[in-house]
Amino acid sequence: MLAYVIRRILATIPVMAVVALFVFSLLYIAPGDPAAVIAGDQATPADVERIRASLGLDRPFLVQFGDWVWNIVHANLGTSMFTGLPVTKMIAQRLEPTLSLMAVTLVFAILVAVPLGVVAAWRAGSLLDRAIMAFAVFGFSVPVFVVGYLLAYVFALELEWLPVQGYTPLSEGLWPWFSNLILPAIALGCVYIALIARITRATMLEVLAQDYIRTARAKGIGQSGILFVHALKNASVPIVTVIGIGIALLIGGAVVTESVFVIPGLGRLTIDAILRRDYPVIQGVVVLFSFLYVLVNLLVDLVYTLLDPRIRY
Amino acid sequence: MKTVTRRTVLKGAAGAGALAASARLAAPALAQGPGRTLRFVPQANLANFDPIWTTQYVVRNASALVWDMLYGVDDKLTPQRQMVEAEEVSGDGLTWTFRLRPGLKWHDGEPVLAKDVTASLARWCVRDSMGQMIAAIQNELTPIDDRTFRWVLKKPYPKMLFALAKSATPSAFMMPERIAKTDPFKQITEYVGSGPMKFVQSEWVPGAKAAFEKFPGYVPRQEPASWLAGGKVMLLDRVEWVIMPDPGTASAALQNGEVDWWENPISDLVPVLKANRNVAVDIADPLGNIGSFRMNHLYPPFNDVRARRAVLMAMSQEDYMRAIVGDDDKLWKPLPGYFTPGTALYTEEGGEILKGPRNLDAAKRLVAESGYSGEPVSCIVAQDQPITKAQGDVTADLLKRIGFNVDFVATDWGTVGARRAVKTPPGQGGWHMFHTWHAGSDCINPAPQIQLRANGDKAWYGWPKSDAVEAEINNWFDAKNVDEEKAVIRRLNKAALDFVVYAPTGFFLGYQAWRKNVSGIVKGPLPFFWNVNKASA
Repeated sequence: MLAYVIRRILATIPVMAVVALFVFSLLYIAPGDPAAVIAGDQATPADVERIRASLGLDRPFLVQFGDWVWNIVHANLGTSMFTGLPVTKMIAQRLEPTLSLMAVTLVFAILVAVPLGVVAAWRAGSLLDRAIMAFAVFGFSVPVFVVGYLLAYVFALELEWLPVQGYTPLSEGLWPWFSNLILPAIALGCVYIALIARITRATMLEVLAQDYIRTARAKGIGQSGILFVHALKNASVPIVTVIGIGIALLIGGAVVTESVFVIPGLGRLTIDAILRRDYPVIQGVVVLFSFLYVLVNLLVDLVYTLLDPRIRY
Repeated sequence: MKTVTRRTVLKGAAGAGALAASARLAAPALAQGPGRTLRFVPQANLANFDPIWTTQYVVRNASALVWDMLYGVDDKLTPQRQMVEAEEVSGDGLTWTFRLRPGLKWHDGEPVLAKDVTASLARWCVRDSMGQMIAAIQNELTPIDDRTFRWVLKKPYPKMLFALAKSATPSAFMMPERIAKTDPFKQITEYVGSGPMKFVQSEWVPGAKAAFEKFPGYVPRQEPASWLAGGKVMLLDRVEWVIMPDPGTASAALQNGEVDWWENPISDLVPVLKANRNVAVDIADPLGNIGSFRMNHLYPPFNDVRARRAVLMAMSQEDYMRAIVGDDDKLWKPLPGYFTPGTALYTEEGGEILKGPRNLDAAKRLVAESGYSGEPVSCIVAQDQPITKAQGDVTADLLKRIGFNVDFVATDWGTVGARRAVKTPPGQGGWHMFHTWHAGSDCINPAPQIQLRANGDKAWYGWPKSDAVEAEINNWFDAKNVDEEKAVIRRLNKAALDFVVYAPTGFFLGYQAWRKNVSGIVKGPLPFFWNVNKASA
C-alpha cells in the first residue's frame, strides 16, 4: 500500500508538469495585456510599453517559461504583477475561506444527498422518489448564483437571520465562521446534492435487487439495517467516486459562490487574476487546484480499500 | 426499524427555527464593526497601491487618504494650498519657490522635508503629462532648506498650480524620499504618507479588503474642506474598503447595514435602494463621465475624415446615453463637444454635427464618398464593462444602418486594453473601433485629456494627427487668463470635432448610496472621507 501511495505521488509530477506547460502556453497565447491594465486609461502607449518591459513581458516565450519553471522548482510561485505580493502569500491569504467553504459544502451535501438517494431508491417509483428526483433536477439545473441571490434575499434581507456576505476566520469563533458559510454552502451544495443523490439512488437500486439483500430480508434484518448497513456499504464505491469527481464541480462553483457572497477565497482570486491578466497568480492558482484534484483522486482510490476489502493495490 | 413520523419532522423544523432565531439575535453583531469604523464599497478592486505607477482611479481614490498633496483642487476646480504654506513666483515666471507648512509629519513620525517633496515631484514628472511638460522646461528642482524648495524653469508655465493640484491621474502625491526614489515604472512596496489616514498594510487582502486608520499626527488646514482642498478632518477612526464585484450583493449588504457607503450603485438597483428608508441615494460626481468611442486613424475607412464625420452625423447621443443609464433623464445630457458640461471652459463650438435630427442618408453618401469598399469594420467591445457593452451594441447597429460591414468582436476589457495598442492593420490583429469613457474631472481642460491629443504616433490609441488640434492645445497651455483660455477652447473644440479626434457619445452621471446614519458625504470626482461621520445605527 505504501509503495502504491509513493508511486501515485510520484506520478503526479509529470501530470503537474503537463498542467504547468499547458497553462503557461495558454496564457501566453491568450489575448490581453497586464501592462495596459496596470497603466490605466490615462497612460500613454509609450508608458504601457515601458511597464511591459519592466514586468519582463517583452522576453521570448522560452525565457519566460524557463524562469517560471526554475522558480517553481525552488517553491517560488512568483510575484503578482499587480499587487507586488508573492503569489504564495496571496494564496495563503485566500486558502482558509475556500477550504472552509468546500469542507462545509461537502459535509452538508453528503449528509443531505446520501439519505435522499437511499430513501429515493427505497421508495422507487413513489411520489417521494419523484419529488426527490425533481429536487435533484432542480439542483442541477438552477445556476449557483440564482440560488445564492434567492437565499440571500430570504434569509439575509427579509428574515435577517444571516449575513449577506463576507467571511469570518475560524479563529474568531465557531458561530461567526459558520454563520457566514451557511448560505454559500447551501447555494454551492445544491448541484452537489443533486449529483450525489442521483448516483446514490441508481447504485442503491442495483444493490437492492441483489440476492444477498433478499437473503438479509429473509433473515429478518430491519429496513434501516438493510439500507444503511448491507446495501449502502456495497453501493458506496461509485458514490465515493462521484464525490471525488465532484470536487472539480466544487472548485468551479466556488468561483461563482465566492463572488456572490463576497468570500475572499481562491475562486475570487482566480477571477480577478484572469480579468487583469495577472499571469503569475493564474498560473499559481491553477497549479494548486490541479495538485489538489490529483490529491483528492488519490484519496478516493485509498478510500476504496476501506469500503471494499477485495480492492488491493 | 425506527420510523420517521410527521411529528419527528416537525420537531426537527422547530429545532431549525430555534437555531435560526438564535442566529437572528446574533445578526446585529455581524452587521457592525468597531466604533467609528466606516465600511465602504469602492468602484473597483484596490489591486495595487502606487498612485504614480498606475493611473487607475480606484488607486488615486485610496491614495488621497494616505498621501497628501502640495495643492488640491476645490469644488470650483481652483487650486488651493494644502501642504504648501506659501509660494512665490518670480516676475519673469521662471522661478517658483514653495514653503511647506510647519509640523507636517510622515506616518512613521519623521518630519516632511523639502527633499522628500522634490524626490516625489521628480517621480511624478516622469509619469504625468503635465509633469512631463514641466520637466521638459526645467532648469532645476532643488531643496533650499528643510521646508523650502525651488523649481526653476526655462520658460514660464502658467498652469503650474493646477498641475500640482489636479485630481486627474496621476495626481502629485507626496512620499518620503526613500520611497519616491523608486523607479516610476516599478511599484512601491512601502506605503508611508503624510495624509489623514494610515494604510494598514498587514490587513490588505487585494481583491477583498483594504483598511485605513486615522493618523493622529495629521494637522488639518483651518479652511473648510472642499474636495482635495481645505481642512481634511478625520472624524472616523477607521475606514475599511470591502471589495464587492457583484452589485446585487453590494446592494443587499448596504440595505442590511453590513456596509455603510457604496461608491457606484448601478442604475438598475437604484430604485430598490431609494425605496429603503435607511439608505440615501444621490449623484456621486457632478462632473460625471463622458462616453466615447475611438476610430483608428491609421487605416481605411477611418483614415478618411469623411468616414469619421459620417459616423458623427448619424449617431444619436440619446441612444447611447439611454443604453448606459436607462430611462432616468436626470442622469444624462447630450454633449456636442469634448469638455465637461457645467465647467468654466465648456463650449459647444463646432458641435452642430452632433445636434438635431440625425441624417442617415447624408451619412451614407459621405461613407460612399470616402471610398469605403465594404471591408469588415472590426468593432472591439468589452462585454464585462456595462458601459462599453451598452455603447458597443448601439455602435454596431449604427454602423450597419449607414452601410458598414461590421465585424463585432465581443471580448473582455483586458483584451481590449491589449488589442487597442496594436498598430497593425485590422485584419492582422489590429482594430477599427473601441469604446471607453472618461471621467468628467479629466475633461475640464486639455491638460489631463490625453485622449484629445492629435500628435500622431504619440497620441492616444487611434493615433489621430492634426496640427490644428495640437496648435490649439499648445495655445491653451500658454494662455494667461481665463478669457484667453475660453477663446482657445472654443477653437480647439471646433477643430477636434471637424477632424473627429474621437466620438463623444454623451455626458452621464452616476449615483452613490449610503446608510442614513452616515453624514458628511459630498459630491465630487472621488469619495472624500474627511468630515464624514457615522452615528450608531
